[in-house]
Amino acid sequence: MNKNWIKSNTFHHSAFSDLKRLVAEKQRKKVAISLCFPTLNEEKTIAKEIIIMKSELMIRYPLLDEIVVIDSGSTDQTRNIARSYDVNVYEANNILPHLQKFKGKGENLWKALHVTHGDIIIYIDADIKNIHHRFAYGLLGPLLFTDKIRFTKAFYDRPIAVGENKWRPTGGGRVTELVTRPLFSLFMPGLTQILQPLSGEYGGYRSIFESIPFHIGYGVETGMLMDIYEKWGLDVMAQVDLDRRVHKNQDTKALGRMAFVIIKTFLSRIESQLRITISQDMCDEMIQYSLLNNQLQPDICPLEQHERPPIKEIPEYREKFMTKRKHC
Amino acid sequence: MDKYLEALPMFVDKIREIREIVISNIVLLGQIPAPTFSEKRRAEHLVERLAEVQVDECAIDDYGNPIGVIRGTSQTKPPIFVVAHLDTFSEVRDDLHYEVTDKIISGIGVSDNSAALGVLVSLPEIFKRLDLQFASDIVLVAPIHSLGRGNLKGVRKLLTHWPSPIRGALCLESVELGRLNYFSYGMIRSEISCSIAVQEHGRRRYEPNAILILNEVINAILGLGLPQKPRTQIVIGRIAGGFDHGKIAHDASIGFEIQSDSDAMAKVLYADIRDIVEGINKMFKVELKLNRISNLNATRLNYNHPLIKCASQILNHLGVEVFSEPSESALSIFLHKKIPAITLGITWGTNFHQNDAMIEIEPMYKGIAQIPALLMAIDNGVCDE
Repeated sequence: MNKNWIKSNTFHHSAFSDLKRLVAEKQRKKVAISLCFPTLNEEKTIAKEIIIMKSELMIRYPLLDEIVVIDSGSTDQTRNIARSYDVNVYEANNILPHLQKFKGKGENLWKALHVTHGDIIIYIDADIKNIHHRFAYGLLGPLLFTDKIRFTKAFYDRPIAVGENKWRPTGGGRVTELVTRPLFSLFMPGLTQILQPLSGEYGGYRSIFESIPFHIGYGVETGMLMDIYEKWGLDVMAQVDLDRRVHKNQDTKALGRMAFVIIKTFLSRIESQLRITISQDMCDEMIQYSLLNNQLQPDICPLEQHERPPIKEIPEYREKFMTKRKHC
Repeated sequence: MDKYLEALPMFVDKIREIREIVISNIVLLGQIPAPTFSEKRRAEHLVERLAEVQVDECAIDDYGNPIGVIRGTSQTKPPIFVVAHLDTFSEVRDDLHYEVTDKIISGIGVSDNSAALGVLVSLPEIFKRLDLQFASDIVLVAPIHSLGRGNLKGVRKLLTHWPSPIRGALCLESVELGRLNYFSYGMIRSEISCSIAVQEHGRRRYEPNAILILNEVINAILGLGLPQKPRTQIVIGRIAGGFDHGKIAHDASIGFEIQSDSDAMAKVLYADIRDIVEGINKMFKVELKLNRISNLNATRLNYNHPLIKCASQILNHLGVEVFSEPSESALSIFLHKKIPAITLGITWGTNFHQNDAMIEIEPMYKGIAQIPALLMAIDNGVCDE
């Protein structure tokens, strides 16, 4: 394990707060940058995220070339609100509509690759209460200022909202510490240096994202890290401290379901990488129990898992991007 | 028709085009807590924002007021001030989180006074988009220590030490669009507190109750004769006290304001209330105290002052109904120093001083448009007559 990685490839967002320099570097590298918000019922937060990014990183400083919202079929006003601020809003089901339809964050991220045009794509969750443009420029910094780094991942001091204007100063990352980190420690210790492997904010070059499969649900972050690590190694990755991220808290049962998916993704990946052999089929249902009228009742949650192949294997994508690249 | 009136529809459209910048400024500034006397972080952020858009001079003055000066083309014309107070009534000290939709912005303090602050900071960008240059320097200030016990100290200090004459001033408040304030009451804001020392309880035959003693004070205040001219009123606006339903209250307080068209009348009434407090204090042998929190002088611009006429015309032209009422803002300090000034509202909203305070986004564009139009008018001499 390269123990120097954490020193050399860990940054703080403040190192990249000179936006003029970032814009100059972007122009020198002649790259286009897309920002993607995956959404599902985010009417309370999406407008603020769009407004701040657009104001600070498009109007004031031309760092982003486009902002795109990919929605999983929100039943609230998310799409209408986003459209009112003049960004491109897509329903995931309407992108590559002939493909089998799935619902999940990973699906949105994968399909975003088809509708965005940036050479660099930044993904930011749409439920961040304390959104700030550092979330985007922090992730862009290492991608623009170095030639080697092709993928950046956020980490935070994460308070969790526990009520109106009440915050618990520490917490979050429970699934990371109880599930992902032990698994990485067991099989891929190099990846333990990524402090928050499940953070929802990351950025990278299209050439990276188009070459890896995307899990459609909670497993997207775990699978992505494992695939990038396996294909290109740790040195193409960096992590950026974005300070605080305030987000919605999830109950233990929801975290349990998340953990189920992450473990399954991990085991599938590690098996396909021929690191272990699993001699039985894994189940697709998470079974939890609730006390109802003094009786324990099972809550059976089907968590069927799907994965999209590397998008560059999709003919329409190849037609749109690879052909163009060949001509260039 | 005057140039600035003709330009109003274009102003509204151009301002709407950069709504993201304005809303972003409102949110990023408003989310930084700034209770009165703890405004430093917000002040620093405000100056940073002004510096980012190349405002000619940006600084925090010796007293703590953040200031930005956009240099005018004239060497001789006095400056014009645009002011929005920096502090909020809310005592929340953790970062706040505003919510934005396509129609509204909501969160603590947005209507007092984050929206106005965000607009103040957006003005340099707005002037650029509207291609406006002024002969006078435009001084953008967000005075600290404005509310409650702050007693407008920030703006008082600023104007006491400002070295040159001032041509005019616009004071910005988040709400309500259409307000055109050009006078303030003489006002004395005070608190009466009653405190009963615990060790004395055993020695008294009848244990005094702080709430009932304040009730005596209130009844005595209500018995004061108030003249119809000069118009005068005493508003008892706050009350607190006691501990439990079945326990004698040891502490209680009321907050009130004497408001009058005449400073002298306000002082006379204040003296009367001081006598009431002393009398009741002696009668019940408790600790009854009268504390003055803040005061304002009664000041006004004449209703036919060209600045008021001009502001009224602009609002009419924008299709906004005009209303006037007395203002407790920095306005009174400018007027007291004989500087023509008015207070304007930026937009409409609800729940002004609650956690779910809300302002509307669309009316804001008209509310902002009145600022460059009025600055053009003042720059052309409307206050110099």
